[in-house]
Amino acid sequence: MKNQKHLSDRVLVYAIIWCVSYLGSLYALKSLDLSIVVNILLISITAMSFILFVYKYFRSIQMMDEVETKIQLEATAIAFALSLITVMKLGLFDLVFTINKDDWAYRNLIPLFVVFYFIGLFISKRKYHFDYEKHD
Amino acid sequence: MKNTIKVERARKNLTQAELAEKIGVSRQAVNSIETGRFVPSTVLALKMAKVFGTTVEVVFQLEEED
Repeated sequence: MKNQKHLSDRVLVYAIIWCVSYLGSLYALKSLDLSIVVNILLISITAMSFILFVYKYFRSIQMMDEVETKIQLEATAIAFALSLITVMKLGLFDLVFTINKDDWAYRNLIPLFVVFYFIGLFISKRKYHFDYEKHD
Repeated sequence: MKNTIKVERARKNLTQAELAEKIGVSRQAVNSIETGRFVPSTVLALKMAKVFGTTVEVVFQLEEED
C-alpha cells in the first residue's frame, strides 16, 4: 500500500511536469517570436513529458489493487468516449457552422479531455462505492 | 453475487482496514466488495476465505440472476 501511494505521488509529479511544460510551451509558442527549431523543440519536450506521464500512470495502474485498476480503466474509457464525442461533434459542426478556431482549437481541447477523465473517475468511484464511509 | 464478508469479519473481529491489510488491497476495495459493488478475482476471494479460515463458497454465493 505504501509503494502504491508513493507511485501515485510520483504520477502526480509527472502530471504537474506535463502541465507546466504544456502551459509553458503554449505561452512561448503564442507570445514569443522563437525560431522554428526552438518551437519544434518545445513541442517535442511537451510531447515527451506527456509520454512520460502516461507511462508512469500505466505503471501505477499495474501496482493498484483490482478495484482501483478497474476504476482507473473505466475512468479512462469514459474520458476516451467523451473525447471522441467532442471531436466528432466539433468536426460535424464545422461542416455546417463557422466554429471560432480560437475557442475550439486542438490546444484548447486538452484541458477538456482532462476534465473528462475526472468525470469518468467520479462516475466509476460512485459505481463501486469506492469513497464511501467505512462500515466496520 | 452475495457475500458474508461482514459476518465473517465480525466473527474474526476484523475491521475493513485490517482485512484490507491482510489481503493486500485498500480499505475502499474491501468496502466495494463487501457491499457487492465489485466481484473480486478468484485469487482475492481465496485470500479472503483463507483469512476467515473458511472456503470461498461460504464467503461468496451465487444469486438467482447470476
